[in-house]
Amino acid sequence: MKTAIFLIIVLISGALAGFVHGTVNFAIVEPYLDQAIGIENQNLFASGEAEDTPQFWAEYEGYRIWQKSGQVLAGVILGTSIGALFGLVFAFARNVLPGNNDIKKALVLAGIMWFTMYLIPFLKYPANPPTVGDSETVVLRAILYLSFIAISGFGALGFYQLSKKFQNKKKIIPLVGYGLFISIAFFVMPENPDEITAPMNLVNEFRMMSVLGVTSFWISVGVFLGLFWNRLKPHQETTPSFN
Amino acid sequence: MSQSKEIIISKSSIPIFAIVLLAMIFVAGLFVVGFDQGHIFSLVIGEEAFADLYIHELTHDMRHAAGFPCH
Repeated sequence: MKTAIFLIIVLISGALAGFVHGTVNFAIVEPYLDQAIGIENQNLFASGEAEDTPQFWAEYEGYRIWQKSGQVLAGVILGTSIGALFGLVFAFARNVLPGNNDIKKALVLAGIMWFTMYLIPFLKYPANPPTVGDSETVVLRAILYLSFIAISGFGALGFYQLSKKFQNKKKIIPLVGYGLFISIAFFVMPENPDEITAPMNLVNEFRMMSVLGVTSFWISVGVFLGLFWNRLKPHQETTPSFN
Repeated sequence: MSQSKEIIISKSSIPIFAIVLLAMIFVAGLFVVGFDQGHIFSLVIGEEAFADLYIHELTHDMRHAAGFPCH
């Protein structure tokens, strides 16, 4: 393994995919965030927690610019982070992934990780815009969300290990096993404790855009890492031989 | 007479330090974007960081968009 090349392409692929994710979010998710924060502000005025003054709006504009400018940067940080995990898993799983080149293999793995580590947890604990969420429960919600990602991810890994013991057609058994396992986890895990007080059409449209954004990340990280891996082949070492 | 040639060897083994490094980047990045509520800056500026929430605000929009609980 050419370790330096491996590390560089893994981190660059993650950062580039994170940049794509941040940019997509900037285009399609930001309008919903603005709308939700607008409702949040109206609630603050109605409850008397804030006053509708020029000073309020000056402060609001200041932190909204800071928050919006962080969208792409946070995308790059998150992308590098998730990309590091993706690169590790790809390096270990490359030889058993289907596909005749590294782009196809990376896209297959990205699809599996998107499904098990994002979509399944999202169905249980979907993304919410600002105005939804009680700050008192944020730690509990973070624990629940992370736990479900871990349960789904490690569950998939466990059933994959189990699948090695089965022959061709019987490989469906561990797949069904994962389905059963995650269904049980889905019903056993506690619900999000917070009530949704924002309009449901706003929440649903926000969630749809959120899925599109995250999906853009997983497709990009698969394509980028696959392209780099195909070209630079970090798994191959060239050693001189003398006869 | 001796001849030299190159042999390409395919190796999948990843050095331990590379695994540890990538695992640390994964955990650190996830914490910064998904969960920091002033903890990182509190190491430098103390309790004030929990009120300022600079990193939380900077990652706020991505935190919501990526599905992390925010507030």
